[in-house]
Amino acid sequence: MSTNRPVGPTPPPGAAGPVGLAARQAALVAALVAGAPLPAGFATDRVDAARRALLRKRAGEVARHWPLLAAGLGDAWPATFAGWAAGRPTAGSLRDGWDLARALRDRGTLPQLGAEELAAREAAHRYDGRNPPRRRRLPALARSGDAVALQLAGRVRLLRPTRR
Amino acid sequence: MTRPQGVGIGWRPEIAGFVAELPGLRFVEVVAESLAPDGPLPPGLAALRERDVTVVPHGVRLSLGGAEPVDPARVTHLARVAELVDAPLVSEHIAFVRAGGLEAGHLLPLPRTREAVAAVTANVRRAQQELPVPLALEPIAALFDWPDDELDEADFLTEILDATDTELLLDVANVYANARNRGRDPQALLDRLPLDRIAYVHVAGGAEHGGLYHDTHTDPVPTEVLELLGALCAGRRPPPLLLERDGHYPPADVLRAELDALATAAGHPVVT
Repeated sequence: MSTNRPVGPTPPPGAAGPVGLAARQAALVAALVAGAPLPAGFATDRVDAARRALLRKRAGEVARHWPLLAAGLGDAWPATFAGWAAGRPTAGSLRDGWDLARALRDRGTLPQLGAEELAAREAAHRYDGRNPPRRRRLPALARSGDAVALQLAGRVRLLRPTRR
Repeated sequence: MTRPQGVGIGWRPEIAGFVAELPGLRFVEVVAESLAPDGPLPPGLAALRERDVTVVPHGVRLSLGGAEPVDPARVTHLARVAELVDAPLVSEHIAFVRAGGLEAGHLLPLPRTREAVAAVTANVRRAQQELPVPLALEPIAALFDWPDDELDEADFLTEILDATDTELLLDVANVYANARNRGRDPQALLDRLPLDRIAYVHVAGGAEHGGLYHDTHTDPVPTEVLELLGALCAGRRPPPLLLERDGHYPPADVLRAELDALATAAGHPVVT
Protein backbone atom coordinates (compact mmCIF):
# COMPACT_ATOMS: atom_id res chain seq x y z
CA MET A 1 0.00 0.00 0.00
CA SER A 2 1.40 3.38 -0.89
CA THR A 3 2.19 5.72 1.98
CA ASN A 4 4.14 8.34 0.10
CA ARG A 5 1.28 10.73 -0.22
CA PRO A 6 -0.50 12.82 2.34
CA VAL A 7 -3.61 11.42 3.97
CA GLY A 8 -6.77 12.67 2.36
CA PRO A 9 -7.39 14.60 -0.79
CA THR A 10 -5.38 17.40 -2.26
CA PRO A 11 -7.78 19.10 -4.61
CA PRO A 12 -6.27 20.86 -7.60
CA PRO A 13 -6.64 24.62 -7.49
CA GLY A 14 -10.06 25.74 -8.60
CA ALA A 15 -11.65 22.28 -8.25
CA ALA A 16 -14.66 21.74 -6.01
CA GLY A 17 -13.17 18.58 -4.51
CA PRO A 18 -10.92 15.64 -5.20
CA VAL A 19 -10.94 14.47 -8.80
CA GLY A 20 -10.54 10.93 -10.03
CA LEU A 21 -11.59 7.71 -8.34
CA ALA A 22 -8.40 7.26 -6.31
CA ALA A 23 -8.54 10.74 -4.76
CA ARG A 24 -12.26 10.52 -4.16
CA GLN A 25 -11.96 7.14 -2.45
CA ALA A 26 -9.12 8.48 -0.30
CA ALA A 27 -11.22 11.50 0.69
CA LEU A 28 -14.15 9.31 1.67
CA VAL A 29 -12.04 6.93 3.77
CA ALA A 30 -10.33 9.88 5.49
CA ALA A 31 -13.76 11.31 6.32
CA LEU A 32 -14.93 7.97 7.69
CA VAL A 33 -11.96 7.05 9.85
CA ALA A 34 -9.60 10.00 10.23
CA GLY A 35 -11.86 12.95 11.02
CA ALA A 36 -11.43 14.62 7.60
CA PRO A 37 -14.34 16.67 6.24
CA LEU A 38 -16.93 14.80 4.20
CA PRO A 39 -16.64 15.49 0.46
CA ALA A 40 -19.52 17.45 -1.01
CA GLY A 41 -22.65 15.70 -2.18
CA PHE A 42 -22.84 12.80 0.29
CA ALA A 43 -25.81 12.46 2.65
CA THR A 44 -24.24 13.46 5.96
CA ASP A 45 -26.66 11.46 8.10
CA ARG A 46 -26.06 8.29 6.09
CA VAL A 47 -22.28 8.59 6.25
CA ASP A 48 -22.55 9.31 9.99
CA ALA A 49 -24.54 6.10 10.36
CA ALA A 50 -21.85 4.22 8.42
CA ARG A 51 -19.15 5.75 10.63
CA ARG A 52 -20.95 4.62 13.79
CA ALA A 53 -21.48 1.15 12.31
CA LEU A 54 -17.77 0.96 11.53
CA LEU A 55 -16.90 1.81 15.13
CA ARG A 56 -19.29 -0.87 16.43
CA LYS A 57 -17.69 -3.41 14.10
CA ARG A 58 -14.19 -2.37 15.15
CA ALA A 59 -15.20 -2.59 18.81
CA GLY A 60 -16.33 -6.17 18.28
CA GLU A 61 -13.13 -7.12 16.52
CA VAL A 62 -10.91 -5.52 19.14
CA ALA A 63 -12.91 -7.25 21.87
CA ARG A 64 -12.02 -10.60 20.28
CA HIS A 65 -8.33 -9.73 20.55
CA TRP A 66 -8.68 -8.19 24.02
CA PRO A 67 -11.47 -10.17 25.67
CA LEU A 68 -10.50 -9.29 29.24
CA LEU A 69 -10.17 -5.60 28.48
CA ALA A 70 -13.64 -5.60 26.95
CA ALA A 71 -15.09 -7.76 29.73
CA GLY A 72 -13.55 -5.49 32.36
CA LEU A 73 -15.33 -2.51 30.85
CA GLY A 74 -18.58 -4.47 30.51
CA ASP A 75 -21.47 -2.38 29.22
CA ALA A 76 -19.14 0.61 28.88
CA TRP A 77 -16.97 -1.19 26.30
CA PRO A 78 -18.69 -0.05 23.05
CA ALA A 79 -18.83 3.62 24.11
CA THR A 80 -15.32 3.58 25.59
CA PHE A 81 -13.91 2.08 22.42
CA ALA A 82 -15.89 4.37 20.12
CA GLY A 83 -14.85 7.45 22.11
CA TRP A 84 -11.21 6.50 21.75
CA ALA A 85 -11.34 5.27 18.16
CA ALA A 86 -13.43 8.02 16.54
CA GLY A 87 -11.22 9.89 14.10
CA ARG A 88 -8.36 7.47 14.73
CA PRO A 89 -7.62 5.12 11.80
CA THR A 90 -7.16 1.48 12.75
CA ALA A 91 -3.71 0.00 13.18
CA GLY A 92 -5.28 -3.47 13.33
CA SER A 93 -7.34 -4.92 16.17
CA LEU A 94 -4.37 -6.10 18.23
CA ARG A 95 -2.67 -2.71 18.24
CA ASP A 96 -5.91 -0.77 18.58
CA GLY A 97 -6.71 -2.66 21.78
CA TRP A 98 -3.15 -2.29 23.00
CA ASP A 99 -3.11 1.47 22.40
CA LEU A 100 -6.50 1.85 24.07
CA ALA A 101 -5.41 -0.19 27.11
CA ARG A 102 -2.32 1.98 27.50
CA ALA A 103 -4.38 5.16 27.13
CA LEU A 104 -6.79 3.96 29.83
CA ARG A 105 -3.87 2.98 32.07
CA ASP A 106 -2.35 6.43 31.67
CA ARG A 107 -5.72 7.97 32.54
CA GLY A 108 -6.05 5.67 35.54
CA THR A 109 -9.27 4.13 34.20
CA LEU A 110 -8.03 0.73 33.05
CA PRO A 111 -10.15 -1.96 34.73
CA GLN A 112 -8.41 -4.73 36.68
CA LEU A 113 -9.04 -7.41 34.07
CA GLY A 114 -7.67 -5.14 31.38
CA ALA A 115 -4.59 -4.39 33.49
CA GLU A 116 -3.87 -8.10 33.80
CA GLU A 117 -4.33 -8.64 30.07
CA LEU A 118 -2.08 -5.70 29.26
CA ALA A 119 0.64 -6.85 31.68
CA ALA A 120 0.57 -10.36 30.22
CA ARG A 121 0.82 -9.00 26.67
CA GLU A 122 3.67 -6.65 27.55
CA ALA A 123 5.62 -9.42 29.27
CA ALA A 124 5.39 -11.53 26.12
CA HIS A 125 5.83 -8.85 23.46
CA ARG A 126 7.74 -5.68 22.89
CA TYR A 127 5.53 -2.95 21.41
CA ASP A 128 6.73 0.55 20.71
CA GLY A 129 3.32 1.93 19.76
CA ARG A 130 4.37 2.51 16.15
CA ASN A 131 5.40 -0.87 14.72
CA PRO A 132 3.82 -4.31 15.06
CA PRO A 133 4.48 -5.98 18.43
CA ARG A 134 7.38 -8.43 18.48
CA ARG A 135 7.78 -11.46 20.66
CA ARG A 136 10.38 -11.02 23.39
CA ARG A 137 13.25 -13.50 23.29
CA LEU A 138 14.44 -12.85 26.83
CA PRO A 139 12.56 -13.26 30.11
CA ALA A 140 10.63 -10.14 31.02
CA LEU A 141 8.56 -8.65 33.80
CA ALA A 142 5.73 -6.27 32.95
CA ARG A 143 3.55 -4.18 35.20
CA SER A 144 0.28 -2.47 34.57
CA GLY A 145 -1.21 -0.81 37.61
CA ASP A 146 -1.17 -3.50 40.29
CA ALA A 147 -0.90 -6.35 37.81
CA VAL A 148 2.53 -7.89 37.32
CA ALA A 149 3.26 -10.54 34.70
CA LEU A 150 6.40 -12.61 34.21
CA GLN A 151 7.37 -14.20 30.92
CA LEU A 152 9.93 -17.02 30.91
CA ALA A 153 10.68 -18.98 27.74
CA GLY A 154 7.47 -17.72 26.17
CA ARG A 155 5.24 -18.70 29.08
CA VAL A 156 3.48 -15.87 30.86
CA ARG A 157 2.36 -15.98 34.48
CA LEU A 158 0.58 -13.32 36.44
CA LEU A 159 2.66 -12.90 39.61
CA ARG A 160 0.39 -10.46 41.26
CA PRO A 161 -3.11 -10.56 39.94
CA THR A 162 -4.97 -7.52 41.08
CA ARG A 163 -7.54 -8.01 43.82
CA ARG A 164 -11.04 -8.71 42.66
CA MET B 1 -13.51 -29.71 -5.63
CA THR B 2 -17.29 -30.31 -5.41
CA ARG B 3 -19.31 -27.16 -6.08
CA PRO B 4 -21.30 -25.70 -3.18
CA GLN B 5 -24.59 -27.49 -2.58
CA GLY B 6 -27.53 -27.29 -0.22
CA VAL B 7 -27.36 -25.20 2.92
CA GLY B 8 -23.97 -24.19 4.29
CA ILE B 9 -22.64 -21.95 7.02
CA GLY B 10 -19.75 -19.55 7.38
CA TRP B 11 -17.09 -21.47 9.31
CA ARG B 12 -15.76 -19.43 12.23
CA PRO B 13 -13.50 -20.69 15.04
CA GLU B 14 -16.10 -19.70 17.64
CA ILE B 15 -18.70 -22.09 16.21
CA ALA B 16 -16.34 -24.80 14.94
CA GLY B 17 -17.80 -27.32 17.41
CA PHE B 18 -21.34 -26.59 16.31
CA VAL B 19 -20.47 -26.79 12.61
CA ALA B 20 -18.57 -30.07 13.09
CA GLU B 21 -21.76 -31.73 14.35
CA LEU B 22 -24.06 -30.77 11.48
CA PRO B 23 -24.73 -34.18 9.91
CA GLY B 24 -25.99 -33.02 6.50
CA LEU B 25 -23.50 -30.22 5.93
CA ARG B 26 -21.90 -30.29 2.50
CA PHE B 27 -20.35 -26.85 2.26
CA VAL B 28 -18.86 -24.04 4.30
CA GLU B 29 -17.18 -20.75 3.59
CA VAL B 30 -14.11 -19.52 5.43
CA VAL B 31 -12.72 -15.99 5.62
CA ALA B 32 -9.73 -16.30 3.31
CA GLU B 33 -7.58 -13.85 5.25
CA SER B 34 -7.99 -15.96 8.42
CA LEU B 35 -6.06 -18.90 6.94
CA ALA B 36 -2.29 -19.31 6.73
CA PRO B 37 -1.41 -19.88 3.05
CA ASP B 38 0.83 -22.87 3.80
CA GLY B 39 -1.48 -24.39 6.37
CA PRO B 40 -2.06 -26.17 8.55
CA LEU B 41 -5.79 -25.66 8.47
CA PRO B 42 -7.49 -25.07 11.80
CA PRO B 43 -8.35 -28.56 13.15
CA GLY B 44 -12.12 -28.10 12.76
CA LEU B 45 -11.77 -27.09 9.14
CA ALA B 46 -9.33 -29.91 8.39
CA ALA B 47 -11.85 -32.37 9.80
CA LEU B 48 -14.53 -31.01 7.46
CA ARG B 49 -12.18 -31.39 4.48
CA GLU B 50 -11.62 -35.02 5.48
CA ARG B 51 -15.40 -35.47 5.29
CA ASP B 52 -15.25 -33.96 1.77
CA VAL B 53 -17.18 -30.90 2.83
CA THR B 54 -16.61 -28.17 0.23
CA VAL B 55 -14.73 -25.14 1.58
CA VAL B 56 -15.05 -21.82 -0.27
CA PRO B 57 -12.48 -19.13 0.66
CA HIS B 58 -14.25 -15.79 0.98
CA GLY B 59 -11.97 -12.76 0.72
CA VAL B 60 -12.84 -9.58 2.56
CA ARG B 61 -9.74 -7.43 2.11
CA LEU B 62 -8.69 -7.64 -1.54
CA SER B 63 -10.30 -4.24 -2.22
CA LEU B 64 -11.15 -5.16 -5.81
CA GLY B 65 -13.02 -1.87 -6.14
CA GLY B 66 -10.02 0.22 -5.19
CA ALA B 67 -8.80 2.67 -7.82
CA GLU B 68 -5.29 1.37 -7.27
CA PRO B 69 -4.20 -2.02 -8.64
CA VAL B 70 -5.08 -4.91 -6.36
CA ASP B 71 -2.18 -5.91 -4.10
CA PRO B 72 -0.50 -8.91 -5.79
CA ALA B 73 0.46 -10.40 -2.42
CA ARG B 74 -3.19 -10.49 -1.39
CA VAL B 75 -4.14 -12.23 -4.65
CA THR B 76 -1.35 -14.76 -4.12
CA HIS B 77 -2.63 -15.43 -0.62
CA LEU B 78 -6.15 -16.06 -1.91
CA ALA B 79 -4.80 -18.35 -4.63
CA ARG B 80 -2.73 -20.35 -2.14
CA VAL B 81 -5.64 -20.69 0.24
CA ALA B 82 -7.86 -21.91 -2.61
CA GLU B 83 -5.32 -24.65 -3.31
CA LEU B 84 -4.93 -25.45 0.36
CA VAL B 85 -8.64 -26.27 0.77
CA ASP B 86 -9.03 -27.61 -2.80
CA ALA B 87 -11.75 -25.03 -3.39
CA PRO B 88 -14.05 -25.16 -6.44
CA LEU B 89 -14.25 -21.35 -6.45
CA VAL B 90 -13.40 -18.31 -4.34
CA SER B 91 -15.42 -15.18 -3.67
CA GLU B 92 -14.84 -11.50 -2.95
CA HIS B 93 -16.82 -8.26 -2.87
CA ILE B 94 -17.52 -5.42 -5.23
CA ALA B 95 -16.19 -2.88 -2.77
CA PHE B 96 -13.08 -1.12 -1.59
CA VAL B 97 -11.65 -1.32 1.92
CA ARG B 98 -8.70 1.08 1.82
CA ALA B 99 -7.57 4.18 0.01
CA GLY B 100 -4.87 6.78 0.35
CA GLY B 101 -2.95 4.60 2.80
CA LEU B 102 -5.88 4.27 5.25
CA GLU B 103 -7.82 1.14 6.11
CA ALA B 104 -11.57 1.68 6.26
CA GLY B 105 -12.09 -1.45 8.35
CA HIS B 106 -15.17 -2.36 6.35
CA LEU B 107 -16.49 -2.89 2.84
CA LEU B 108 -17.28 0.47 1.25
CA PRO B 109 -19.49 1.08 -1.78
CA LEU B 110 -18.19 2.30 -5.11
CA PRO B 111 -19.65 5.16 -7.06
CA ARG B 112 -21.75 3.45 -9.72
CA THR B 113 -19.87 5.09 -12.57
CA ARG B 114 -18.16 3.87 -15.74
CA GLU B 115 -14.85 4.80 -14.12
CA ALA B 116 -15.58 2.49 -11.20
CA VAL B 117 -16.73 -0.32 -13.51
CA ALA B 118 -13.39 -0.01 -15.31
CA ALA B 119 -11.43 -0.04 -12.03
CA VAL B 120 -13.18 -3.15 -10.69
CA THR B 121 -12.91 -4.89 -14.04
CA ALA B 122 -9.17 -4.25 -14.23
CA ASN B 123 -8.62 -5.54 -10.72
CA VAL B 124 -10.78 -8.62 -11.20
CA ARG B 125 -8.85 -9.48 -14.36
CA ARG B 126 -5.56 -9.07 -12.51
CA ALA B 127 -6.82 -11.44 -9.82
CA GLN B 128 -8.22 -13.95 -12.31
CA GLN B 129 -4.80 -14.31 -13.94
CA GLU B 130 -3.42 -15.82 -10.77
CA LEU B 131 -6.42 -17.54 -9.20
CA PRO B 132 -6.57 -21.29 -9.91
CA VAL B 133 -10.40 -21.36 -9.72
CA PRO B 134 -13.34 -19.13 -10.74
CA LEU B 135 -14.09 -15.99 -8.78
CA ALA B 136 -17.61 -15.07 -7.68
CA LEU B 137 -18.36 -11.43 -6.87
CA GLU B 138 -20.67 -10.24 -4.12
CA PRO B 139 -22.49 -6.89 -4.13
CA ILE B 140 -22.39 -5.34 -0.67
CA ALA B 141 -24.90 -3.70 1.65
CA ALA B 142 -24.24 0.03 1.78
CA LEU B 143 -25.70 2.64 4.10
CA PHE B 144 -25.00 5.46 1.65
CA ASP B 145 -24.62 6.07 -2.07
CA TRP B 146 -22.14 8.30 -3.87
CA PRO B 147 -23.52 11.59 -5.18
CA ASP B 148 -22.83 10.99 -8.86
CA ASP B 149 -24.11 7.51 -9.70
CA GLU B 150 -24.52 6.98 -13.43
CA LEU B 151 -25.91 3.42 -13.24
CA ASP B 152 -28.41 1.75 -10.97
CA GLU B 153 -27.31 -1.16 -8.83
CA ALA B 154 -28.53 -3.85 -11.22
CA ASP B 155 -26.89 -2.35 -14.32
CA PHE B 156 -23.66 -1.65 -12.42
CA LEU B 157 -23.48 -5.26 -11.28
CA THR B 158 -24.41 -6.72 -14.66
CA GLU B 159 -21.77 -4.65 -16.45
CA ILE B 160 -19.05 -5.83 -14.07
CA LEU B 161 -20.04 -9.50 -14.23
CA ASP B 162 -20.32 -9.39 -18.02
CA ALA B 163 -16.98 -7.64 -18.45
CA THR B 164 -15.13 -10.06 -16.16
CA ASP B 165 -17.08 -13.26 -16.84
CA THR B 166 -17.49 -13.80 -13.12
CA GLU B 167 -20.22 -15.58 -11.22
CA LEU B 168 -22.54 -13.87 -8.75
CA LEU B 169 -22.44 -14.39 -5.01
CA LEU B 170 -25.85 -12.95 -4.24
CA ASP B 171 -26.52 -11.81 -0.68
CA VAL B 172 -30.29 -11.58 -0.25
CA ALA B 173 -29.86 -9.71 3.03
CA ASN B 174 -27.82 -7.09 1.18
CA VAL B 175 -30.52 -6.80 -1.48
CA TYR B 176 -33.09 -6.35 1.26
CA ALA B 177 -30.94 -3.81 3.14
CA ASN B 178 -30.14 -1.69 0.10
CA ALA B 179 -33.69 -1.60 -1.21
CA ARG B 180 -35.20 -0.90 2.19
CA ASN B 181 -32.70 1.86 3.02
CA ARG B 182 -33.43 3.53 -0.30
CA GLY B 183 -37.18 3.20 0.20
CA ARG B 184 -37.51 0.75 -2.70
CA ASP B 185 -39.04 -2.68 -3.13
CA PRO B 186 -36.51 -5.49 -2.47
CA GLN B 187 -38.34 -7.84 -4.82
CA ALA B 188 -38.15 -5.33 -7.66
CA LEU B 189 -34.41 -4.95 -7.15
CA LEU B 190 -33.96 -8.72 -6.94
CA ASP B 191 -35.84 -9.22 -10.21
CA ARG B 192 -33.44 -6.94 -12.08
CA LEU B 193 -30.24 -8.69 -10.92
CA PRO B 194 -28.41 -11.17 -13.20
CA LEU B 195 -29.74 -14.20 -11.33
CA ASP B 196 -28.60 -16.58 -14.07
CA ARG B 197 -25.04 -15.98 -12.87
CA ILE B 198 -25.60 -17.07 -9.25
CA ALA B 199 -22.88 -19.33 -7.84
CA TYR B 200 -24.35 -19.36 -4.35
CA VAL B 201 -26.35 -17.15 -2.04
CA HIS B 202 -25.56 -15.48 1.27
CA VAL B 203 -28.16 -15.04 3.97
CA ALA B 204 -27.47 -13.09 7.15
CA GLY B 205 -29.23 -11.35 9.98
CA GLY B 206 -29.48 -7.68 10.70
CA ALA B 207 -31.23 -5.09 12.78
CA GLU B 208 -32.63 -1.60 12.61
CA HIS B 209 -30.69 1.25 14.20
CA GLY B 210 -31.93 4.81 13.87
CA GLY B 211 -34.36 4.07 11.05
CA LEU B 212 -31.80 2.25 8.89
CA TYR B 213 -31.46 -1.48 8.40
CA HIS B 214 -27.95 -2.67 9.25
CA ASP B 215 -26.61 -5.94 7.84
CA THR B 216 -24.92 -6.86 11.12
CA HIS B 217 -24.39 -10.62 10.84
CA THR B 218 -24.88 -10.62 14.62
CA ASP B 219 -28.69 -10.61 14.74
CA PRO B 220 -31.34 -13.12 13.66
CA VAL B 221 -32.32 -13.38 9.99
CA PRO B 222 -35.50 -11.27 9.68
CA THR B 223 -38.69 -12.74 8.27
CA GLU B 224 -38.53 -10.30 5.36
CA VAL B 225 -35.15 -11.69 4.29
CA LEU B 226 -36.45 -15.26 4.50
CA GLU B 227 -39.42 -14.25 2.36
CA LEU B 228 -37.13 -12.68 -0.21
CA LEU B 229 -35.10 -15.89 -0.19
CA GLY B 230 -38.29 -17.87 -0.73
CA ALA B 231 -39.21 -15.66 -3.66
CA LEU B 232 -35.74 -16.09 -5.16
CA CYS B 233 -36.01 -19.88 -4.96
CA ALA B 234 -39.64 -20.16 -6.07
CA GLY B 235 -40.00 -21.60 -9.54
CA ARG B 236 -36.34 -22.35 -10.04
CA ARG B 237 -33.85 -24.87 -8.78
CA PRO B 238 -32.76 -23.38 -5.44
CA PRO B 239 -29.15 -22.18 -5.47
CA PRO B 240 -26.75 -23.24 -2.70
CA LEU B 241 -27.26 -21.09 0.41
CA LEU B 242 -24.84 -20.00 3.07
CA LEU B 243 -25.72 -18.55 6.46
CA GLU B 244 -23.26 -15.91 7.67
CA ARG B 245 -22.98 -15.27 11.37
CA ASP B 246 -20.10 -13.19 12.71
CA GLY B 247 -20.62 -12.70 16.40
CA HIS B 248 -23.13 -12.74 19.28
CA TYR B 249 -23.42 -16.44 18.53
CA PRO B 250 -26.75 -17.78 19.78
CA PRO B 251 -27.23 -21.14 21.51
CA ALA B 252 -26.87 -24.16 19.21
CA ASP B 253 -30.61 -24.86 18.99
CA VAL B 254 -31.28 -21.29 17.83
CA LEU B 255 -28.60 -21.49 15.16
CA ARG B 256 -29.92 -24.90 14.10
CA ALA B 257 -33.44 -23.48 13.79
CA GLU B 258 -32.09 -20.67 11.63
CA LEU B 259 -30.37 -23.16 9.29
CA ASP B 260 -33.62 -25.15 9.13
CA ALA B 261 -35.58 -21.99 8.29
CA LEU B 262 -33.20 -21.32 5.40
CA ALA B 263 -33.61 -24.85 4.11
CA THR B 264 -37.39 -24.63 4.36
CA ALA B 265 -37.59 -21.24 2.65
CA ALA B 266 -35.47 -22.47 -0.24
CA GLY B 267 -36.69 -26.04 -0.53
CA HIS B 268 -33.37 -27.63 0.39
CA PRO B 269 -33.02 -30.64 2.69
CA VAL B 270 -32.23 -29.71 6.28
CA VAL B 271 -28.59 -30.19 7.31
CA THR B 272 -29.11 -30.29 11.06
